[in-house]
Amino acid sequence: MRIEKLVLQNYRQFRHAELDFSRTAGNDLHIIRGMNGTGKTNILNAFNWCLYGDEPHLAKDSQQLPRLNLGCIRDSDGSQNEEVRAELWLKTRDGNYLVFERRESYRVQGHDEHPLVQERSFEARVTDAKGNIKILRDEEAAYCAERFVPRLMREFFLFDGERLDRYFKEATAQNIRHAVFELSQIHLLENLEQKLDATLKDVRREAGKASPAIEQSRERLDTLENRLGDLDTQRQACIDQVNLSKDKIAEYLEMLRGVPDVATLEAERQGLGERRKQKEQLRADKAAQKREALFQSGMSIGVWPAMDQILQIIDQKREDNEIPPTVDKGLLDSILRDHLCRICGRALDEESTRHVKQLAEEVRLSSAVLRELVNMENALRLRADTLSHFDAQLREMTSEIREYETELDAIERRKNEIDRELEGYNIHRITEWHKERQNFENARDTNQRKLGMLDAQRDGLLVQIRALKASLDKELKKETKLAQLRKEIGFCASALEVVRQTKHSIMTQTRREIESETKALFMDFAWKKETFRDVHIDDDYGIHLMHSMGYDCLGAASAAERELLALSFTLALHKVSGFDSPIVIDTPVARVSDEHRVNFGRVLLEVSADKQTVLLFTPAEYSQDLAGVIDRHSSNRLELKLSSDENEARVEVL
Amino acid sequence: MSGVVDRLSVDEKDRALYDRLESADIFEGRTRKEQFLFALAYAFQRGVRRPMETREGFFLAKDLHTEDRALLSAVAAYSDDSLDVLADKARVFRIAEEYAHAGIRMIVDEIESTQYGSFEKRLEMDFHDRWKQLALADN
Repeated sequence: MRIEKLVLQNYRQFRHAELDFSRTAGNDLHIIRGMNGTGKTNILNAFNWCLYGDEPHLAKDSQQLPRLNLGCIRDSDGSQNEEVRAELWLKTRDGNYLVFERRESYRVQGHDEHPLVQERSFEARVTDAKGNIKILRDEEAAYCAERFVPRLMREFFLFDGERLDRYFKEATAQNIRHAVFELSQIHLLENLEQKLDATLKDVRREAGKASPAIEQSRERLDTLENRLGDLDTQRQACIDQVNLSKDKIAEYLEMLRGVPDVATLEAERQGLGERRKQKEQLRADKAAQKREALFQSGMSIGVWPAMDQILQIIDQKREDNEIPPTVDKGLLDSILRDHLCRICGRALDEESTRHVKQLAEEVRLSSAVLRELVNMENALRLRADTLSHFDAQLREMTSEIREYETELDAIERRKNEIDRELEGYNIHRITEWHKERQNFENARDTNQRKLGMLDAQRDGLLVQIRALKASLDKELKKETKLAQLRKEIGFCASALEVVRQTKHSIMTQTRREIESETKALFMDFAWKKETFRDVHIDDDYGIHLMHSMGYDCLGAASAAERELLALSFTLALHKVSGFDSPIVIDTPVARVSDEHRVNFGRVLLEVSADKQTVLLFTPAEYSQDLAGVIDRHSSNRLELKLSSDENEARVEVL
Repeated sequence: MSGVVDRLSVDEKDRALYDRLESADIFEGRTRKEQFLFALAYAFQRGVRRPMETREGFFLAKDLHTEDRALLSAVAAYSDDSLDVLADKARVFRIAEEYAHAGIRMIVDEIESTQYGSFEKRLEMDFHDRWKQLALADN
């Protein structure tokens, strides 16, 4: 089935618009170009509104506006109802038409007030081969729309291009499980499972009335099964968290690819700052020490000839035994005081007294000098000794200062290197990324540990449940009057098991089919054929893009490659679901870098060879290079233009 | 010359020169006594001694340690070429003051000269050359 045309009347920006999607070229590709605000996304909404009655892609500012065109409200005199209408013309493979039409009539109360809905209608007109038209209304029409694209699966057919970018970034496994779940129509089996489970419990409760032992076992079994249910819910939440963390870690790793490890470098820079302070202090201390040595030794060097001379004199006097003094001044003083020679015992005469006085004066003088010399000696020898090491001491200190300077230079160089490395990066943001990545790693580890614990508890619980069921069976067998109930329990339990296994096998089979289709499509579309080896969807519905070197590289893939994988996955779902409906993508390459837009354009061209593809672009997105690749192959190129009062959008054929 | 001298003096004009020494690292935080002794040694090494025109107390003699006194005495004995001066403290101080008076002017001129390299560097080289010249390593 393909879309032939979309007719809009008074729908949002579109007063009267007819968008033709007939196939006129090699590719069933239809381009709609329009500036922001011209109504591209509302085309997507129009498809949804026409088929399902809602507008899931409505922008925030549009949510405040009535669905009825503003120009229509302005022109209305309120005398009659105004109508919003969307008509979607589809053509089946055998050439018959299926037309969906949704109408809403409004009463316009005033130009500034929201118009009130008066009437709603939805119909599907089915034309058969003979040209007969069958009109289906409301529920029947809705059922017909479900056959075109099921409401629950429309997100895989009519979507915003940003979704392609987000698809494998946000809760991948949840998305995939959801897709497989919807596709497999598992909810039917789930309903059955819930019903059987409730019936089984009822029958067991009934049986419990016959015997207290059975009742006890049943109650216990109910409790354990409830606990198992809780555990399964917790397990699923853990698995979701682990998968979400893994995706986020991969996303942060991608953002941090080639970006320096800021936290480590910052820590190193701080460490270097502290080391520099220490070294500068050590250098300053050593320089002060050297200055002190220079000052003290400098003085000694300056006066060295005087010091040397005195030291030589002292040495000479010591050699001549003049030091210590040989004459006892105390003896001379006592001779003079007593006028008696202490050596010969003779009394001193006048001449002798004068002679002794003169001798005493000479001794006094020479003693003072000698005493002074003795006092000076140690100090001078100490200075002379220090001076003998001057050169070596100075060299050692100079060399130590140089070492500190070399170390300081090295510190400065490394600091500059770090500064250069960090130049141009938003350190705060990168640090936040590192922190976030760390947080997700912690969350992943915590949840994995918790999952292990829950698995162990679950295994234990299953053993208990099995044992309890066996014991309940035994109790039931004892009560012969319960034969019928026993049969019913046996039947319900077996049926439940069959449903569960069926559900599991359908999910597994669908997952495998999607995996295989996704891989085939991705490998076919990928422009870097040698880079990727495999696409794998694991038991927990995590998707893995395997590099040719053997590692999972989804996190490291470019936005374009990630979108390509999402597109392949979406197309695989189309194929596996059997709904070979068109695909409508709003802003398909908005997140794709310029260099990959052409590659992506080629892929979309390839897709449109077999599948009707409607693409809505902004002019900026629809670059010349991209247009060069797809323009000539497209069946239709339309442009949306806004009127001067911005109330009406026109559709022009390019 | 005799009599009790309790302080060492500088020429009135020299005080300002001593204040200017602070601009060289080697004199940073030095006491007046240390500045004075360095100026003395600097001038003695260069054999320059100048009589003072005026005198004003610079620091007290009691601040001189034994090794400082030994240095002053050695200089005085060498300058007078007699040991007798050792018994005359006033003269020892006077000789020291005259050397310091000459030295402080030379040091300040040197510090403030435009020659290449810092004063400290030049001092280091000068002391090193002199040390080698005097062959003091064998002392």
